[in-house]
Amino acid sequence: MEKTCVEQKKQYDILIIGAGVAGLSAAKSAYELGCRSILVVEHTNYLGGILHQCAHYGFGDGLNGPEYIQTLLDAFPNELEYRLNTTVIGIHADKTAVLSSAEYGVQTICFSQLILAAGCREIQAGALDIAGTRPMGVYTAGQMQEMINVYGILPQSPVVILGSGDIGLIMAKQIAEIGGEVALVEQNSVLGGLERNQWGIEQYAIPVYFDTTITELHGEKHLSAVTLGNGAELPCKTLLIAVGLIPNQELLDGIGHPDWLHLCGNCNRIHAMIESVVYEGKKAGISACEKL
Amino acid sequence: MLMKDSAVNEQIKYDVAIIGGGILGCFAARNLMRWNVSAVLIEAEDDVCKGITRANSAIVYTGYDNKPGSLKAALTVQSNRDFAKLCEELDVPFSRCGSLLVAFDSEAETVLQKKYHNGIRNGVNGLKLLSGAEVLELEPMLSANVRVGLYAPDTGTVNPWQLGIAACENAMANGCDVWCNETVSNIVRSENGYWITTSNKKVHAKAIINCAGLSADQVQNLLYPAEVSLDFDGADYLVMDKAIAKPKHVIFHETAEGKGITAVPCTEGNLLLESTARALTVPFASTLEGIRSVKDTVKAVLPQVDTTKVIRSFGAVRPNLRGRNGENISDFYIGNPAPDFYSLIGVKTPGLTCADALGRSVAEKVAVYLHAEENTAFSPVRKGIAKTDGQIICQCEQITKGEIIEAIKRGATTVDSIKRRVGTGMGRCQGSRCTYAIERLLEEEIHGENVRRAKETI
Repeated sequence: MEKTCVEQKKQYDILIIGAGVAGLSAAKSAYELGCRSILVVEHTNYLGGILHQCAHYGFGDGLNGPEYIQTLLDAFPNELEYRLNTTVIGIHADKTAVLSSAEYGVQTICFSQLILAAGCREIQAGALDIAGTRPMGVYTAGQMQEMINVYGILPQSPVVILGSGDIGLIMAKQIAEIGGEVALVEQNSVLGGLERNQWGIEQYAIPVYFDTTITELHGEKHLSAVTLGNGAELPCKTLLIAVGLIPNQELLDGIGHPDWLHLCGNCNRIHAMIESVVYEGKKAGISACEKL
Repeated sequence: MLMKDSAVNEQIKYDVAIIGGGILGCFAARNLMRWNVSAVLIEAEDDVCKGITRANSAIVYTGYDNKPGSLKAALTVQSNRDFAKLCEELDVPFSRCGSLLVAFDSEAETVLQKKYHNGIRNGVNGLKLLSGAEVLELEPMLSANVRVGLYAPDTGTVNPWQLGIAACENAMANGCDVWCNETVSNIVRSENGYWITTSNKKVHAKAIINCAGLSADQVQNLLYPAEVSLDFDGADYLVMDKAIAKPKHVIFHETAEGKGITAVPCTEGNLLLESTARALTVPFASTLEGIRSVKDTVKAVLPQVDTTKVIRSFGAVRPNLRGRNGENISDFYIGNPAPDFYSLIGVKTPGLTCADALGRSVAEKVAVYLHAEENTAFSPVRKGIAKTDGQIICQCEQITKGEIIEAIKRGATTVDSIKRRVGTGMGRCQGSRCTYAIERLLEEEIHGENVRRAKETI
């Protein structure tokens, strides 16, 4: 296998899965340590990962997501090889990865070290004990964030957000800012996210229903209301689920934790701050280089 | 789906109109094409197989449950034998995984024995009554408390809407027209058939096949005094993440109170869990009690199944057929209130198993009435959408752009229609990562068509 890879020039010292902040930071640090055989693979058609859809400020020196990505790309070595619109569909113990893309079809790549920086995904409504119909108008908070900030599509108001973690708080503030009616439902008795994300709740007088959850959806075609744990019904046309994130580690199923594998960013653990993602990415790049 | 006839308010004539594009209507349409008749399938929703076909247990039964001598018993036993061939013709995945009906108490034991003997009388192959130890050998994931099991090796599983859509595509390829977004509002008799008024059209048909699902009694009532009526039960379903450990067989759970939960290892790789029947609240709405009771029961029956890994839950509707005096009709009912009018009303379990046979039966009756000749050009073969390499749009299920575009070419006009043709959004993120990308592909592919979009305003 290795021989074929070398002949076909599909052998890399370091393969990095994911071109978000963690993957880009890892690539840059490995490059700065002298590694020149690096391939970054990204399933979307852009670099920068989730920051792409983060219109709010607070990254680095008070930048928003796209601005922060730009600073990363400005400092990014030109000759680093990356592929967009490419999904890794398998990782194998023989240090090969199977890639799928329009350009190359299904292709096997050999690597010496693998950095998994595949980010995380949101817990979606179907995973929760929520009864009722299955109408249109139910999204994950991040899905709506992308729709608003990248594609300019606004949610139908009123909006209910389940969960007051950072994403829930950020979305509540943004929807209030653009004139939408919004309410939060939080199962605990206090708000969840960082303090700096909480002030929007007070500023826009966003109602928060504490100590309860959503138990039922209503509406035949489109969402019309949700029922809370105490039986109260909240009329709404949009429900955003913001109850948590899960690291994307499914690619590792069946391969365990070999010494050539390095995890960083939200696919390792969920990070609250961009600085710790950058730090973890750098560390992964360094430890991959050390093993070469 | 795209209409074949675009004219609005146009008066159109067909030999046969099939009302209702659930799996039964789709198979009636497919089988009608075995004859030289013109036909139109009229569906109220924007796609076929969106009603009770969709909220189905996906099981191909063997027929040990059905009363000896009944139409259900005869059709189920025969349909089960023919099922692999049917799925091969229509290029739909079918898994003959076998089933275990298991009981944990001695009262249920007698039920299993009764079903075993019933099955033998009906001609079901391979049935075996097993001890608890024998059951566990076949299915180690079951609770060690299992006392007895009825093994049916011929039980299988198939995706109900995939099968229905395949039958619809096959009917279309053989010349049947399909109208979606057309609700039948009125039917009146004419000299040689019926005038049917729908949302945007008026159509004449010499004969009608009524497969209108939950509304089938009402459609028949538009013309003929009610011989039968429908009332409804509900059920709750959980779809589990593909990654969890799951049983190899369909598991039916028999309790002292009757039928318990059902666990189905679906062809897609997900485990589907179904509650026992309950009173209907809102159609197609699940209940919290139902969801929780399925999870609790699964913990007792299949303790190794990780019930925290649910990716979707939904509610189903089950029709119960009643006669003139409210009595329960347990056999399949093929209504024939006039020589040119056939109805399939109140078809439930094992309707999926028998969909082709029921469709063929009504199609033949109508063909005989019309003195139609056999269509020698009929082809029973349909090709499914092949897996292709390339750019992956649905990350969870690894569905490529090419597969999505093929679904659009075959008539899908919504994200949901694409989902039901290629499986996008069926995985653990349930479309939260790919829905918008698919909407953009729809827009690119269908300029000017009525694409349902999430574009909304505050």
